[in-house]
Amino acid sequence: MIQLKTMLNCIDNSGATIVECIANLRMKRHGRIGDRIIVVVQKSRSMGDSGPGNTSAAAANKVRRGDIRHAIIVRTAKKVQRKDGMVVRFDDNACALIGKNGEPLGTRINGIVGAELRSKQQSKLLSLASMHV
Amino acid sequence: MASTAPTLRQSSCWKRLLRPSRQQKTCVRCLSTALATTPSQFLPPPPPRLRSPFRILNDTTHTLSKKIKTYPPPPSHRAKHPFAVADWQAYHQKQLDPTGSRTRLFDRNNPDVPRVGDILLVAFKTGDPFAGVCLSIKMRGVDTGILLRNKLHMVGVEMWVKIYSPNVMAIEVVKRAEKRARRGKLYYMRKPKHDKGSVEKEVEAYLKRRRLIRSGALGVKDPSLSAKNPASARSGVGAR
Repeated sequence: MIQLKTMLNCIDNSGATIVECIANLRMKRHGRIGDRIIVVVQKSRSMGDSGPGNTSAAAANKVRRGDIRHAIIVRTAKKVQRKDGMVVRFDDNACALIGKNGEPLGTRINGIVGAELRSKQQSKLLSLASMHV
Repeated sequence: MASTAPTLRQSSCWKRLLRPSRQQKTCVRCLSTALATTPSQFLPPPPPRLRSPFRILNDTTHTLSKKIKTYPPPPSHRAKHPFAVADWQAYHQKQLDPTGSRTRLFDRNNPDVPRVGDILLVAFKTGDPFAGVCLSIKMRGVDTGILLRNKLHMVGVEMWVKIYSPNVMAIEVVKRAEKRARRGKLYYMRKPKHDKGSVEKEVEAYLKRRRLIRSGALGVKDPSLSAKNPASARSGVGAR
């Protein structure tokens, strides 16, 4: 149930670590897995983490604290029921940043994502993720 | 004046003379009115849309000997199924689990029934298998489900699985809890203090051992894990 002021973990390598939801583009409802939201980057990886020789340096510098970005929710602590009766919940809320055109900002996603992304036409994020449930 | 008096007298006379005929006319009119209603047998029959359904009783041609056809009441479902919900549950369980292995596995009288605290492995027909500590078992007939919790990539994941789901291929007991849990629902295991973490190691060890036993390298006669009885092993009946 992602709504205004919800803090989410950002699990891609765009450089943001913690973001705050400021708007849900799925109007008048809380956000679920696969929904597009607008977030403010609250915490980003410091520049020192990515050394000069690090290949992800450019990716890490993509976003800064205070940036307003679009994101896709990939995990929710709220239970999600599937068509076959299975119910899945995660321990945290997480998202991955995307550009205005819908392309993911990061090049990889570290962690598990919900399989609901497939039905929400977010297969690109699903393929970037290391694992999906 | 003298001429009008006899005329008047005459007109009164006419009136007097005509009185009986007028009376007769009235009578005739009354009689005709009366006759129009009373003898129905002389009238032509009314059109069928105006015919009363009760008229058939008075009709001499249709006597009361013709009986009204009656039908027996429809079969009573209540009499057939005194416990309708239980029958419905049994019907669906029979359909979803024709061999009854899943029912037997989660039967209370089964000594090897999966209990909360055990590590279970669920294999699906589509998608990857999911393993986790069983936090809760909800026994609701055909809706019976188990709640598994695991940690994948440092994130806790919980999944409710319906044991009679057609997508569930097998439910296996990977590891028993050392001690019987003193709670029915182990929701406290979500807290970091009691969290078991990932069950990856246990599942790996179990799968390795299962592979060895099935190949016959290990001289262990485990009815659930022997290659001779893969069906029961798949369903997890009597897993160690």
